[in-house]
Amino acid sequence: MSKDTHQVKKIIGVQLQANEYFDRMSLSELLLLFGKLYAQDSNPLELLTRVNLEDKASAKPAALSGGQKQRFSIACALVNNPKVLFLDEPTTGLDPQAKRNLWQLVKDLNSSGMTIVLTTHNMEEAEYLCDRIAIMDQGKIIAENTPQNLILEHAAEPPKAKLHGNIEDVFLALTGHALRD
Amino acid sequence: MFTSLQLHLAKVFLKIFLRDRQSIFFTLLFPLIFTGVFLFSSGEPDPIKLGLINQSQSTIAADFSDLVIDEPLFEITQGDLQSLRQELINGDQTALILIPTNFKQEEDSTQITLLLDASQVRQAGAIEETLNRSLISIEREIRGIEPMFNLEVEDVQARPQRYIDFLLPGILAYMLMNLCIAGSGFNVVEYRRRGILKRLFVTPIQAKDFIVAIIISRMVIILTQISVILGLALTLLDIRIAGSLASLYGMVIIGTFIFLCIGFFLGSLAKTQEAIRPIVALTTFPQLILSGVFFPISALHELLQPIAHALPLSVIVSGLRGISNDGASLLSFNLTTIGILIWMAISFFIATKYFVWKEVAN
Repeated sequence: MSKDTHQVKKIIGVQLQANEYFDRMSLSELLLLFGKLYAQDSNPLELLTRVNLEDKASAKPAALSGGQKQRFSIACALVNNPKVLFLDEPTTGLDPQAKRNLWQLVKDLNSSGMTIVLTTHNMEEAEYLCDRIAIMDQGKIIAENTPQNLILEHAAEPPKAKLHGNIEDVFLALTGHALRD
Repeated sequence: MFTSLQLHLAKVFLKIFLRDRQSIFFTLLFPLIFTGVFLFSSGEPDPIKLGLINQSQSTIAADFSDLVIDEPLFEITQGDLQSLRQELINGDQTALILIPTNFKQEEDSTQITLLLDASQVRQAGAIEETLNRSLISIEREIRGIEPMFNLEVEDVQARPQRYIDFLLPGILAYMLMNLCIAGSGFNVVEYRRRGILKRLFVTPIQAKDFIVAIIISRMVIILTQISVILGLALTLLDIRIAGSLASLYGMVIIGTFIFLCIGFFLGSLAKTQEAIRPIVALTTFPQLILSGVFFPISALHELLQPIAHALPLSVIVSGLRGISNDGASLLSFNLTTIGILIWMAISFFIATKYFVWKEVAN
C-alpha cells in the first residue's frame, strides 16, 4: 500500500495542523477546488452543512474563528468521501464549546461508517472518541488496544475496583512523568 | 492539452491575482513607469546654461558670440562679468565664457576663458568640445579654408537603428525574467511556509499540475503587462519592430515558460522566505550584466563570452532581438533556437523533479 501513494491519496482525507488556504478565495470556491483535485465536482453547500458552516459559504478563511477553521478543514478533507479520515490534533487551541461541537462532528462522521484516525495530546478526547487507542512514544507504538482494556492493563490500583483511572493515567504510566520538550 | 484540474487551478490563481487590487495596481504601474523613463530620457537633452561676457569690440569676437548663441546645445545669457559670476556661484549658470579685450584677428593665438562651477564639471567636456568646434569653424571662415575631411555615418543594414531599439528587447527579456521569478519562486516559498502546499500534497495532485497551472495563469498576466509596454513603446517611443508581432509574442511566451520554471526551482532550492531573495538576486543580477541587455556580449572578455551566451537570459535576449531588430521569425532555426529548446527542457525538468511541497526544517 505504501508503494502506491497516489492511489492511497485518492481514498483518504487529511486535516493538517496548519490549516491555511489560498487568500481571497471563499470557502465554497476552495471546496470546489479541492473537489477538482480529486477529479470530482464537489457540492460545497452540502459539505459546509455537514460541518455547520452553511452560512459561511462566501466568507474567506481568514474571517473564520479557530473552531470554524477546524470544521472547514474537515469539510475540505471530506470532499472525496474518504474511506479513512486523518485528523491531526483537531481540537488543539479550541474553547470547550468548539471542542464539544467538533467531537460531535467526529462521532457523527464515525457512525456514518467512516474510519477516523485521530492524533491528540488530550487523553480525555482519546478516551471519549476512540474505539481503539495506540500510544506512541519516541515514534514507536508502545501500546494498542481498546480504551477499556488499556485501562485494565495499565492504570494503577486499587486492584479490586472493576475499572479505575483513565487514559491519561495509562499514558503517564507508559511514558513516564518527566516533562517532554 | 491541459487537464481540467490544471485549467481549474489556473483559474483559481488568476482569480486570486485579480482580487488583489494592490498587485494589479503595481502590475499596471510598472509598464507605465518603464515607458515614462524611456520617454523622458530619450528626448532632446536640456540646453546647457552659459553666460557670455564679451569684452572685445572686434568683429571676430562678435562672429564668435553669434555662433555660440546660435548653438542649440547652449542657452546663452549675455552680461557683465560681475553679475554673471554671481549667477554662476548661485548655480543659475553652468559656466561662463569670457572673451578678453585683446581678442583680435591679428594675433596668432588668443585665449578664451571658460569659468566653471566644479559641481557641474560633468558637462565641461561637452561645452569645451562645442566651443572648440565653433572656434575652428570661425577660424576656417576667417582664413578662407575648406574642411579637409567630412565624416558621414552610414548603417550597412540600411535601417534606422537607435540604441533604444537595441535596448528594448534586452529590457523586455530582463523584465520578463524578474516578473516570472517573482510570480513563481516567491509564491511557492510563501505557499510552502504557510503549509498550503503541504495541504495540496496530501491530495492526488502532482507537481506537474501545480506548475502548469501557475504557468498558465502567470502567462495571462505577463502577456497583458508586455502588451501594455509594447503598445506604449510602439506608439510613444516610436520603436520599430522588424519581425512579426506574432513571433515576438511567441518568444515572450517561451521566455515566460523558461523563467517561471527556473523560479519554481529557485523556490524549491530556498528553504525559507529569507533565503529566496539572495538566491534570486544571485541568479538574476549576473545575467543582467552578462546577457547582453545593455551592451552586446561580444563586448565582454573573451573567456566570459561562451558562458554568457549559454545563460537563459542571453538566449531569450538574442531571440527577442533577432525578431525585433533583424526581422527573424520565431521558426527560423539557428543557434538561439537550440539554446531555447535546451533551456525549455532543463527548466521544466528541474522545476518538476525537485519541487518541494513540505517545509524542510534546517
